[in-house]
Amino acid sequence: MDAGARLRAVKRLTWLVGAIVLWGVAIFLKLISLQLIHHKKYLAMARQQQEMKVELPAARGNIYDRNGQPLAMSLPVDSVSVNPRRVPNLSIASEVLASILNIDREELAGRLQNAVELKKGFLWVKRKIRPAESERLKSLHLDWIDFHPESSRTYPAGPVASHVLGMLYVEEDEERGAAGIEKALDSELRGHAGTERLLTDVHRRGLDSQISLAAQAGKSITLTIDEAIQFTAEKYLRLAVESNHASTGSIVAMNPNSGEVYAMANYPTYDPNLPPSKNEPPGARLNLGASVPFEPGSVFKVVTLSAALETTNIRPDTIINCGSGAMNFFGRVVHEAKHGYGSISMADVLAHSSNIGAIQIGLKVGEKNLLDYVHRFGFGSKSGVPLPAEASGRVRKLERWTKTSIASVAMGQEISTTTLQLARACSVIANGGLLVKPRLVLKDGDIAQQYEQPVRVIRPETAITMRQMMEGVVIKPFGTGFHLPRISGYSFGGKTGSAQIYDVASHHYTHLYNASFMGFAPVNNPSIVVVVTVNGSKGFGAPVAGPAFSAVMAEALRVMDVPKDLPETIDPKSDDQKMLLAKAATRADADNAADAVMGDESSPQPNILEEEDTVPSMATAAAVTIPVAQVIIPKKPEGSQAPNFRGKTMRAVMEEATELGLRIMVAGSGVARQQVPPPGSILQPGEAIRVQFAR
Amino acid sequence: MARYHSLRDFDWPMFLIVLVICGLGILQIFSATYDTATWHDAWWKQMIYIGAGILLMWIVSLIDYHTLMGQVPAMYIIAVVLLLAVLVIGKSAFGSQRWILLPGGVHLQVSEFAKLVIILLVARFMTELRGDVLELKDLLKIAGLILVPMLLIAKEPDLGTALTYLPILMIGVALAGLRWQYWATIGLVFVLIVPVAYFSLKDYQKARLVSFLDPDRDPLGSGYQVNQSKIAVGAGGMWGKGVTKGSQTQLRFLPVPHTDFIFSAFAEEHGFVGVMVALSLYFILLMQIVQNAQTSTDRAGMYICMGVAALLLFHLLVNVGMVVGRMPVTGIPLPLMSYGGSSIWSVFLMLGLVNNVRLRRFVN
Repeated sequence: MDAGARLRAVKRLTWLVGAIVLWGVAIFLKLISLQLIHHKKYLAMARQQQEMKVELPAARGNIYDRNGQPLAMSLPVDSVSVNPRRVPNLSIASEVLASILNIDREELAGRLQNAVELKKGFLWVKRKIRPAESERLKSLHLDWIDFHPESSRTYPAGPVASHVLGMLYVEEDEERGAAGIEKALDSELRGHAGTERLLTDVHRRGLDSQISLAAQAGKSITLTIDEAIQFTAEKYLRLAVESNHASTGSIVAMNPNSGEVYAMANYPTYDPNLPPSKNEPPGARLNLGASVPFEPGSVFKVVTLSAALETTNIRPDTIINCGSGAMNFFGRVVHEAKHGYGSISMADVLAHSSNIGAIQIGLKVGEKNLLDYVHRFGFGSKSGVPLPAEASGRVRKLERWTKTSIASVAMGQEISTTTLQLARACSVIANGGLLVKPRLVLKDGDIAQQYEQPVRVIRPETAITMRQMMEGVVIKPFGTGFHLPRISGYSFGGKTGSAQIYDVASHHYTHLYNASFMGFAPVNNPSIVVVVTVNGSKGFGAPVAGPAFSAVMAEALRVMDVPKDLPETIDPKSDDQKMLLAKAATRADADNAADAVMGDESSPQPNILEEEDTVPSMATAAAVTIPVAQVIIPKKPEGSQAPNFRGKTMRAVMEEATELGLRIMVAGSGVARQQVPPPGSILQPGEAIRVQFAR
Repeated sequence: MARYHSLRDFDWPMFLIVLVICGLGILQIFSATYDTATWHDAWWKQMIYIGAGILLMWIVSLIDYHTLMGQVPAMYIIAVVLLLAVLVIGKSAFGSQRWILLPGGVHLQVSEFAKLVIILLVARFMTELRGDVLELKDLLKIAGLILVPMLLIAKEPDLGTALTYLPILMIGVALAGLRWQYWATIGLVFVLIVPVAYFSLKDYQKARLVSFLDPDRDPLGSGYQVNQSKIAVGAGGMWGKGVTKGSQTQLRFLPVPHTDFIFSAFAEEHGFVGVMVALSLYFILLMQIVQNAQTSTDRAGMYICMGVAALLLFHLLVNVGMVVGRMPVTGIPLPLMSYGGSSIWSVFLMLGLVNNVRLRRFVN
């Protein structure tokens, strides 16, 4: 090939080479663009399609009672998914999965088909399957089935404390609290879901996984609820409601000093392990005690009387004219529950639960003061307990009060409150005048919850006086609470309530009652407050709510190991006890006093002297060592001899005095320490015996 | 024309470069397939193909290319008959019929071997021209001769391989010389044919063209391969992710990473630096072939070498262009790197021809 030809050839090739060079340069620039300039973008794109982020659900925190008994737990369960693109045969797959997991085959086949068409690489088959299902499915060793550990909520105690705990619902594959603590503290309990980066190939097969963010389990919550007290409360509430053919009820037991709620029971109740169903009674999932207010009725007289003690010169022994049993007040006729009481002391107004007496006292207090004390006792505002949907109850503003409102409010009408609010109000009396905030959460995670400094709302003296008057309700033979079952070893006080239910439709009060009892024990240093409300009963407060109160109170006192303030007694109404009392009453000399003690020792419960609580033994010692006081004075036919009350409980003293037709005046609580006039002295007709009680 | 050919005259630099490129290919095939069920032994099969290819190259370089050119009519007829046979009794795979099943389980892609015939055909045709430049009737004649196998291959359908015959013709025509009026006419005809040709394409071919022009239109469908390839190349960055560390390749996002998209897998695992090294090797190889064309003693040798160079360059530009998204997906393998016996052997046979020319560059 000669040089000329080659030159011509080269010349001809120039264009071709130029085109090729352009082509090469285009590719070269593209390479630079891809690999150097936009490298990060493509790296991100690669990662995005190669990594599948799988959410790692966080285990929900457990809920414990105050002793660490689990009330709500999250147990590990499996959820099943498939990669539809890897399923070898859709119809066989849906057949197998549907039969083992008890789901609809057609529906699953449809979902699978749909997922395949949409080229999805992931499909939940069933969430939270039973362990047996999981085991069966795993035993098949099918590589296209994937298992994901999740957690499932169980409530080991079943319906116990269900209203406090609440329940869960599932939204967007996530458990959320629907009610109760589960809802109120949802964010603490839920924890934080983690993420797992799953390196997957083009067929979405997971090759390698890396946990980029570990799931953070939810915090455990320790409640102030005591499972035993709660159980007792639910049991006796059910009994109270069902045996009285009432419709609903609630019980709150709490510590009046710390505000810790030991039990919060409602009837009807439900099992939070089960989803809501139509068979449940309506409102079964409502926390009635915190969310549904009602007209309290007579229990509210405690507020009226406290206000009177603080704002008027009325004292417990101030005589109130309760008239003849009916009172016309601005055209409204108010009746007493039974009959007219005439003129009685304020203490007896409470014991009798005289409506007219309460109104008279209320009128003395005045609208403004009464409303002020209604607010002071925490009515009309939420207690701040960590429960969703707590009701504040209704308290009318002064401007909206009618002429008769003061009468209504004084006896607990035209006002609405929840059982929880009543427990808080009762706690004010019990703890010496402080409005505490009820607490349900003892520990949030490992951190003990701070207890808020309560606010003083009444003077301590007022609270103490109220306690004594409320003890009168259950120890005075005419007291509305006299027939309440006794609590062995403890004194207690309280107030009954039997509010007629107002029918909104007919604007009349019906013959159904909100029967309630609120009380505290022991009287001198109350450790427990219990409020029982039974709605829609035909009976009054004491017989309907009383037995449940005593049972729950007794259980709470036992569980909380509250020191006894009375000798443990056999039922004081039992015959041998009465005999003992009679003996003590008739033999009023020194020798006999020693006999009585000896008799006590030989009684079925000799251990009163060995009780750690030294009060009974001290009282007995007093009786033994003061023979000097027991001067034998010849009987005078006109008057009767003063019995020896010393060393006896207030109840026993009351009973004895009633039996003998004696007037007595009591002071303090516990056991009788001193009496004026002393035992054996001749009483003038109508002369009252003053008995000082102490522990 | 029995002449003594010294082993020294063998194109050792070219051979060395070829071996290095083949080595990179084997490494990449290994990396892309070692943990697959069906292709895990591809890399050593490729070594056998290469070994056989070297043998073929040696054999071809021993037979004087003038002798080979003498047999062009016979070879042409055999090629056309075999291509017809492919259409009749060929084995189909992936929707097209490209292979003849030989005894022993070897799939032979006739269109790959027909390239050699075309190279020799063009070389002979151009050397036998009378005039200084190519006349129109000559052009039509040679174009017609090439069009017959092209159409047969396009019918398989394997348009990509069919198109690889064009650069052989073009380089031949360019070297032979053609009046610019003819170039202009060809250009005009080409422009007019394109729309007509588009409608005669198969659906998947249309989709490939559309997705080449607008790759994001259907990223999971027809644009999928190119998109995944671009992601792989881009993710490689400057230094690459390392052998067997390319996630696009290893996680099977990249389609056929051991054959058509081997360069993409290579770019992901070896980065821009690796790509530059590989492309430089190809460039040196091409320059070596062009040098052999220049040192050829006659026009026939030059046409052969330049035909081989043009064909390899076309393969390279189309394949790498496809990998980076600058060309539509055509299914043209990367010479010497892509896995596959037919492709490897046809390249080695072509290199054998180049060597053949080189061995006979000294004229007494």
